[in-house]
Amino acid sequence: MPRYRYPGISESEVTPKALFESRRRFLRRGAALGMAVATPGLFWAPGAHAWPSVLESKLDADLPKHELAGGESLTSLRDITTYNNFYEFGTGKRDPEIYGHRLVTDPWSVTIGGEVEKAGTFALEDVLKGQSLEERIYRLRCVEAWSMVIPWIGFPLGDLLKRHAPTSRAKYVVFESLHDPDNLRGQRRSIIEWPYREALRIDEAMHPLTLLAVGLYGEEMPNQNGAPIRLVVPWKYGFKSIKSIVRIELVEEHPTTSWQAQNPEEYGFYANVNPEVDHPRWSQARERRIGESGRRETLMFNGYAEEVAGLYTGMDLDRHY
Amino acid sequence: MPSRQGAIWIFRLLVLLGSSAPALWLAWQWYYGDLGAVPSEAVVHFTGKTGLTLLLVTIAFSPAFRFTGWVGFMIARRQIGLWAFFWLVAHMLAWMGLDQYWDWPWIRREMVDLPYIRYGVAALALLVPLALTSFYGVQKAMGYRAWHWLHRLIYVSAALGVIHFWVLTRADYLLPTLFAAALAALVLFRLIDAAIHRQ
Repeated sequence: MPRYRYPGISESEVTPKALFESRRRFLRRGAALGMAVATPGLFWAPGAHAWPSVLESKLDADLPKHELAGGESLTSLRDITTYNNFYEFGTGKRDPEIYGHRLVTDPWSVTIGGEVEKAGTFALEDVLKGQSLEERIYRLRCVEAWSMVIPWIGFPLGDLLKRHAPTSRAKYVVFESLHDPDNLRGQRRSIIEWPYREALRIDEAMHPLTLLAVGLYGEEMPNQNGAPIRLVVPWKYGFKSIKSIVRIELVEEHPTTSWQAQNPEEYGFYANVNPEVDHPRWSQARERRIGESGRRETLMFNGYAEEVAGLYTGMDLDRHY
Repeated sequence: MPSRQGAIWIFRLLVLLGSSAPALWLAWQWYYGDLGAVPSEAVVHFTGKTGLTLLLVTIAFSPAFRFTGWVGFMIARRQIGLWAFFWLVAHMLAWMGLDQYWDWPWIRREMVDLPYIRYGVAALALLVPLALTSFYGVQKAMGYRAWHWLHRLIYVSAALGVIHFWVLTRADYLLPTLFAAALAALVLFRLIDAAIHRQ
């Protein structure tokens, strides 16, 4: 079990949150007003824009906070939202920030299927209903040897999976991102197999550290970070933490992920952060913490070895990279 | 119409401006903090792409002369070639200083361990003798034939530079493909041109 600790440094010291919030509310109100004037029929349609209000009321509540990054200081909101790998918007680090507004997050639904007793397609507000949100501060380590510390808001994936009653044949959980080439310009070229696909072993998916995140820094998830709902698996390289999820499928057979299909020599199924197993083209021993100068030593399982090493007992991590 | 000398003078000025303007742009972006979350990475990428582009433009000046017969291309070739060398040296220094923080054990380790660093180092090393023999006096002393043979190394260097870029690319090969295609076209032109002139 993770050791839950309260943050030593509050994030309000890093970003003036009150100011940030009031600006966001102002913008939201302005947008809502504009829309009400322009298209009253759409605005007042029953059920429209249901999930952001559900989320907003949840975010306004005092969320339990869990600091799980060893007290390391948070990466700034600016860096978290301007340096992203989200190839759906393009392969440049700033493409997701520049083109992220094209992602349509409302309405949003998630299909949960395969080896579960309660399968179906669920509106996001129904996915969120009954889940108690919390803030979790995690390290994020990208396979490209850079890292951040991010205050996510979300709930354990296991809580959602349990609600849909996986059958005994559910051995793996497969996730799929939105496929919408009209709005996601990166998907017009086949840089990687679209839609983006990721997967976890069922015990990894049920682990209490595995999070479904719907926000960060106290706000709903920015588009460039994988709005409206994304996975966060802090002990694995960032590409495992799939963004903008539309499908969750529980399966019996070992699945193949998008990066494995793209280059199986370089990207394995497990992709656990491991300073001793180098990427074929670069070293994984050190990392650049965004916002810092110099390099940090990369930690085994990204610093979560105590919590997750047991999942891989007896496995050759050189072979199962 | 400017005079013949005037046209060459204007062309040399354009080469100067075209090759140095990216440095002003980069300095401007750096000063105003517009290079993103990791400015050092942006500098390394920008200097590398600019240097490789100028290297290919240097090579392209020969076919440009062949097609137009205008001697300005041959006169400005040394100038732009030295600019390419300048940008690629800046690229290496940016990598060593801004990216690796002059951490020599790590710089050595990366050079030994990482194929794409080796290709880049080799590409730049091959340009050193070309830069050193670029002066008219040296060229004269060497004799044009020997000098010409030596300076064909620019093709090898450019090829290593393209391979360097290709190998370090993670998934999106659009830009490396464009560089490779440009180099292939230049090499092809050279071979066809040589074949025609041998007849």
